[in-house]
Amino acid sequence: MKKNILILTLILFTGFIANAQVKKGDVLIKNATVLTITKGTLENTDVLVRDGKISRIGKNLKAPNGVQEIDATGKFVMPGIIDAHSHIALSAVNEGTSQVTAEVNMGDVIDPFDVSIYRALAGGVTSTHALHGSANVIGGESETLKLRYGTTNPEEMKFEDAPRTIKFALGENPTRGGRARGIQPSSRMGVEAMLRNSFNDAIAYRAKWDAYKADKNPRKVAPEYDLRMETLVDILDGKVLVHCHSYRADEIYMLMKVFTDFGIKKLTYQHANEAYKVASELAEFGAGASVFADWWAYKLEVYWSTAYNATILTRNGVLTSINSDSGELIRHLFHEAAKTQKYGDLSDDEALSLITLNPAKQLGIDNRVGSIEVGKDADIAIFEGHPLSVYAIPVMTFVDGVKYFDRATDVDDQRIYINPEETVENISIFNRHDEDRCMEEGVVSFEALFSNKK
Amino acid sequence: MKLLLMKTIRAVFLMLLTVSTIGLKAQSDPTGESAVTRTFAITNATVIQAPGKELKGATVVIKNGLIDAVGTNVTVPKNAQLIDGKDMYVYAAFIDGLSNTGAKRPENMPRPNNLFSPDPPNDYAGITPERSLVDQLDIESNTIGSLRKEGFAISHSVPYGRMLPGSGSIILLGDKKHADDLVLSKDVSMFTQFAGAPGAYPGNVLGIMAKFRNLYRNAENDKKHFDSYAQNPSGLERPERDRVTEAFFPVVTKQRPVMFDVSGVLEVQRAIRLQKDLGFKLMVGNVKQAWDLGQMFKENGTNVFLSLDLPDAPKEAKGKDKDEMTEEAKRLEARKMDFYKKYTGQAASLANTGVKFGFSSLDVASNKIKANLLTMIENGLSENDALAALTTNPAGILGIDKIAGTVEAGKIANIMISNAPYFTKDSQIKFMFVDGDKYDFEIKEKSAAGNGNRSAAAGNDPVVGTWTYNFETPQGATTGKMIIGKEGSEYNGKLTSNDGGPDNDMQEVSFVNGTLSFSFSIDAGGQSVELVVTGTVTGKQYDAEVSVSAFNFSTPLTATKDDGQ
Repeated sequence: MKKNILILTLILFTGFIANAQVKKGDVLIKNATVLTITKGTLENTDVLVRDGKISRIGKNLKAPNGVQEIDATGKFVMPGIIDAHSHIALSAVNEGTSQVTAEVNMGDVIDPFDVSIYRALAGGVTSTHALHGSANVIGGESETLKLRYGTTNPEEMKFEDAPRTIKFALGENPTRGGRARGIQPSSRMGVEAMLRNSFNDAIAYRAKWDAYKADKNPRKVAPEYDLRMETLVDILDGKVLVHCHSYRADEIYMLMKVFTDFGIKKLTYQHANEAYKVASELAEFGAGASVFADWWAYKLEVYWSTAYNATILTRNGVLTSINSDSGELIRHLFHEAAKTQKYGDLSDDEALSLITLNPAKQLGIDNRVGSIEVGKDADIAIFEGHPLSVYAIPVMTFVDGVKYFDRATDVDDQRIYINPEETVENISIFNRHDEDRCMEEGVVSFEALFSNKK
Repeated sequence: MKLLLMKTIRAVFLMLLTVSTIGLKAQSDPTGESAVTRTFAITNATVIQAPGKELKGATVVIKNGLIDAVGTNVTVPKNAQLIDGKDMYVYAAFIDGLSNTGAKRPENMPRPNNLFSPDPPNDYAGITPERSLVDQLDIESNTIGSLRKEGFAISHSVPYGRMLPGSGSIILLGDKKHADDLVLSKDVSMFTQFAGAPGAYPGNVLGIMAKFRNLYRNAENDKKHFDSYAQNPSGLERPERDRVTEAFFPVVTKQRPVMFDVSGVLEVQRAIRLQKDLGFKLMVGNVKQAWDLGQMFKENGTNVFLSLDLPDAPKEAKGKDKDEMTEEAKRLEARKMDFYKKYTGQAASLANTGVKFGFSSLDVASNKIKANLLTMIENGLSENDALAALTTNPAGILGIDKIAGTVEAGKIANIMISNAPYFTKDSQIKFMFVDGDKYDFEIKEKSAAGNGNRSAAAGNDPVVGTWTYNFETPQGATTGKMIIGKEGSEYNGKLTSNDGGPDNDMQEVSFVNGTLSFSFSIDAGGQSVELVVTGTVTGKQYDAEVSVSAFNFSTPLTATKDDGQ
């Protein structure tokens, strides 16, 4: 019994440390081919990590006392992969009951137990952009995550001080939701009207509160508080980066017109299969695009898709990234990036930027991650074989210098919490979020069981 | 003659006086069921006054619903009903931190025609914080008696509903004539749960978190407006009355805590996140996964009520099954056991961290409460900490420690008396006092308790026959017949439905130690969904819970055996 208590105390004590601060690691990676992304490829180079940050890059570095050394001879070191469109590590994806839900926040529903996090780490991914689904014209605020798998505290999954971002959606998904519920929008015209109405409401709301704040009367009465409007006002004020689910060129162009009218500048299109048709317009606006490598033919609005999309956008000066939107694709985003060399002949650095520095810029975290540079976070992936080779194998993944994946010591059962009443949970890589990519229609509810019956 | 008249008048007068001093009870109770006296003395007993504070050979005097005196040198009042406390153990009756005890589940509101899903009416959205448990209290509810039978005299009970069902009240688990008599303290908490509205906003945890923030922030502003209007209305815009925002006022002024039903470790942390954002007083209840949260509870000062429910112990493979297990299967089984130990050991780990937690009976079958407590004790919880979690801790958290939680003079006479130290396997509760009223229980012979099932099976089977069941679904009650038969040692049965649905075969029917369980499948639009029913048979009454693991949802089913069987 005493022994039990001792063990318990130990567990609690380590839990306390983790609560106080996320784990930061120290490590020296020796003799690797370092793909810095921003400063070229460095052969036979060492990378020293101290307290979670890259502290030195050079040759013949010595490991300080107590710092673990990893021999990476013949291996490739690259910045951890960043997925700008993901729904892993979330307990809920859509608040699909309303078509404007700017007030909801994915930071409220982080699920640190999702095994997909470990699978993503095993694909060299260190950060994901956890987005609201695309059922709504204006979905909720998203959360940028660091894949610190193993924690039980959702707060520790958050990318500290990452800018706020929000999900918008155009086209078939929000209009399908609208038609199903008999509410606006039931057409692309309705989507635009809804966006304009929402921002006009927000302007009126801001004016009301500005007047209230300016009022010197000590007995002034506050206007109604509306969290939805608060978020929309912050978008108007440039405090929130917009990431918009979109496919067709006409709706992509429409949103740029709307944003121009309302003076909103920070915009990245998600999916954007037809972005290549309006690439120069995107470049002129300064909008980014986060696209699939070659994914198409899953619904009508993706009919005019091309695997050259990322290349055309890149060559036109559009900040472009490649994303997964899937718990499966996220495991081999390096292959997805490599496809741009087959379709478009991008350089190694250009192709790798699509899954590292460019998504970092789109999320506003490029000061911290996205390249191997002194002073940046030690979010690092080590590969056997060049990551753009079809033979590439991720072997180790670090977040803040802490190793969260090591192929050599990979354990079969990576679940964090176990249900003692179930032998094995029904888990598959193709979980329900992936089946229809962003289009969770809402799993059948307990209520629905009985309404079907009657 | 005149003298006689005077004498008669005096006699009548005296008689009247006597009758009136006997009290209202005698006068209004033609059944004669009322107690002869409300003064009791339990003599020569072992009295556990509080965790770790034990008196041997002590007397407890109960008078006027209160504990009048406790000690080894106490005078027994002449009119006291005596209870020989030899070999008896006297405890403060238990306090349950969160349940629906005594509440009657109201009919679900039907989906309104032309519902505008982004902004449904508050009733349908489940945003009804202005409601009170007291309005759902039903003195006939069998949950009162079944929790009392397990040693509880007080429950912090909350109303049924969705996101914000209403305020919880502290109730006494006595047999009372009127619902108001049950109420010890009305509207002490604002009950909140992550239960979305079907097909309307807020539909899930995303919308609920946002809606809660929005309601709270508005209530803060509205409170200021109401206050300044109350101070001087002249020239000030009139604040609109709004029952929802007004129900939040005691919460934003921190007079009333928010009670969150949060069973999972992530839900608990979501409630704490809301609290950190907004600053209200927080209680978390029905907590089932707390082994990683002790330090967080301690640092935040969160008030915690752990669930009294525990998962079933994993079955260990034996003989041939064990020999045939693969290494992988063995590892998976070992992890199941690790986590079973976390569930059963978390009460001990919280206590060791210094968290003063209570218990919640919300999701536990009442007949499993004691067994689960003993399991927690086997897994490291000290008996004193267990007793504190059942008595003094909840009394402190709920703010009733001046009147409940210990066996001390001046407190309400809520007392449990068992025939052996309570935390032993064979102890049984012999008497309960709730609010000074005595309830007696039959002590079952050990052999009968252990083998009752076997002897019954010999011909007069307690479950075989036709039962009328009542099953609460979100769409309202479903009724029908539950027909159970037996072939050899195997039970079988079917469920019929009164609303014309097809019969359902009962699968895996088992009846062990008074617990009847079975499962059945229903068709949900081409998808077969299994419902598991498990509960206790008491005479002709079956109280069960139906759960659908796929949805993490459970709902009650009750059945009564038809007459003449």
